[in-house]
Amino acid sequence: MWKNLCSLFKKDCRMMVSGKFFLMSSGFLVLYTLYVNFGYIKFMDAQLYNVYLYDPAKTQTTVSTLVQRVSSKEALDTILLDDTNGVGIDASAGEPQLVFYEGTEQTDCHRIDYALSLLQPPGNCNAEVIGSNTPEQKARKEITCELLFFEIAAAGFLGIAAVLFKEKGMGVIRVHAILPLRKNLFILSKLAIFLLSDLVFAILLTVLNVGLLDTASILPEVLIQTALLSLIMSLAGLICALLLKDFRQFTSAYLLIAIFVATPVFLSANTAVKLDWIYFHPFYHIYMGLKNAYFGTPMNSPAYYLGCLTAIAVLFAGVQHVFCKEMRKEG
Amino acid sequence: MTSLRCQLKNVLHDKFCLMTFLLPIVVASALNFVGSIDLSTLGELHFGVLEDDLPTRTTTWLERYGSVTIYPTMEELMDAIQEPSTNLIGVESDGSGIKTIISGDELDMFRQTADTLPNLYEQRNAAGQTKVHILECPNVMAGFHDMFIAVTLIVAMFMGCTFNAMNMISEKEDGVAFINEILPMTQSQYIMQKLFVGFICGCLSSIITVCICFRLSLQNAALMLVLIVLSALAAAWIGLFIGRASNGLMAGVVYIKIVMLLFIAVPILSFLVGISQPLLSAIFYVVPSQATFEGIMALSTGNGTIAVKDIFILLAHCIIWLLLYWENLHPAS
Repeated sequence: MWKNLCSLFKKDCRMMVSGKFFLMSSGFLVLYTLYVNFGYIKFMDAQLYNVYLYDPAKTQTTVSTLVQRVSSKEALDTILLDDTNGVGIDASAGEPQLVFYEGTEQTDCHRIDYALSLLQPPGNCNAEVIGSNTPEQKARKEITCELLFFEIAAAGFLGIAAVLFKEKGMGVIRVHAILPLRKNLFILSKLAIFLLSDLVFAILLTVLNVGLLDTASILPEVLIQTALLSLIMSLAGLICALLLKDFRQFTSAYLLIAIFVATPVFLSANTAVKLDWIYFHPFYHIYMGLKNAYFGTPMNSPAYYLGCLTAIAVLFAGVQHVFCKEMRKEG
Repeated sequence: MTSLRCQLKNVLHDKFCLMTFLLPIVVASALNFVGSIDLSTLGELHFGVLEDDLPTRTTTWLERYGSVTIYPTMEELMDAIQEPSTNLIGVESDGSGIKTIISGDELDMFRQTADTLPNLYEQRNAAGQTKVHILECPNVMAGFHDMFIAVTLIVAMFMGCTFNAMNMISEKEDGVAFINEILPMTQSQYIMQKLFVGFICGCLSSIITVCICFRLSLQNAALMLVLIVLSALAAAWIGLFIGRASNGLMAGVVYIKIVMLLFIAVPILSFLVGISQPLLSAIFYVVPSQATFEGIMALSTGNGTIAVKDIFILLAHCIIWLLLYWENLHPAS
């Protein structure tokens, strides 16, 4: 049996190489790495509101270094128009007056108090820091987690379909029906190759984007989550590829998954937006599992793993059933 | 005409294809009627306090700046502060003042807020007499809802592109492309037919989405119609281009994936980051969905002039894609 599995595995490997699958994966690895290191990290530097002061008579004596001085009333107006989050202080009439563009009520309140506090002698209090991640580490982990989730959900799903449709066209399933092999092997070798390639992809992506030092401690947990996700996505891809008529229909199904399934998950897991129904979304839990692995938060309950394993078992049984049906139809 | 009818019949038989075109409409109506996504909380401040730790008037003072959540135990408060997806600032009493706790991975904005908060608390009685002049500004946060609708519209548009590309690739794989070459059919007829289905369906689904989501004046509605037609056309052209350029399923999928990422990511990025550099924003217009997105957002706030500019950009896109495709069909040699 092992010999058969090995030869099937080798054949699948050759299929993937000829289908440029590995080339595509490494291309995306390079693309993602460039994006994280040269794009994403640079975007993530939101500063607190800028405060601009117009004070020709120098009436304010204790001005914080965070305040930027402007030379005229017009300059104050233009700079505020550009930076609508900024706050302008006009002290030309002696008593300081605040000018700014309307935001939400609470933000306005905070901007007023913050701007005025900068005209007072500064206090020397700093917030207590209890976490271990710096903002850059957090940003790197977050984006790596997102990209990995997206890539595995997409690559596992699409890749397996691309390979299977090709094999379907070549009549491989028909040949399998008459081969003296256990039918599971066909599915197992497909799963194995996608699992392996996903794991390698996860390791490379994490090492390149999170950094070698941080990766060492989180890698085992990340790999477990990656394996679960990869198995589920490959099995789902197999079912869809066996059921659907052609690759065009499959792409529609894929688009559906990529856009309308992933969006609420990303929104809910990465921002403060909480959707009430998100707990019924299966991918939310998987994504959170991956994210917790990246941030080293041990929050996964046994129920989660049980759910994942059940899902994999059910999907596997489903694939087997559909595969046998397909073989009967073909042969 | 007969062949066009055949193409359309082909689509109508394909239930899955129909579903894809209906999907943006369903999502748009869900966004419109449910409206459960409240993005206005994104840029706001969130504070976490321990039960029975701060006096009520301090909590009330905090509530002026942002939402306050009360946690029963210290562990829960610490977990909430450490949670990577939120920017919660923990507030504790410290003698007569307060002190703040953060996890250290927040954006600078939240760290600075936490650093200055105790200071603000000390000076809370000093403010109040200062004259404040608040300038009118279109509500930035309301734009997020429109952003979702605009993205849904772009997706509706993109379906036409995918459909065309996949249609051509599957024809290539099935060998229909060879048959097409010997059929008595001119290139323009072929392009028309291929363009037709993706374009019409993308258009229809976008128009219905717009009807559900926006209440526009007659003039703006006309502008929106032109915007949709042009962007669906540009998307359909790109689809044809992808279909022609890719020689296999896998290559086609890679191209589509890249184009889809660009189509959705570029406008969202420029909207959220707010690109002000003229050169950079000009580069962003290379992706047609950027112009569409900007046009839709402008029309949703009733700004016709920007939409007209975007219509011209899209028109340029359509012409450029047409020329590129033509060049590809008939190489100069």
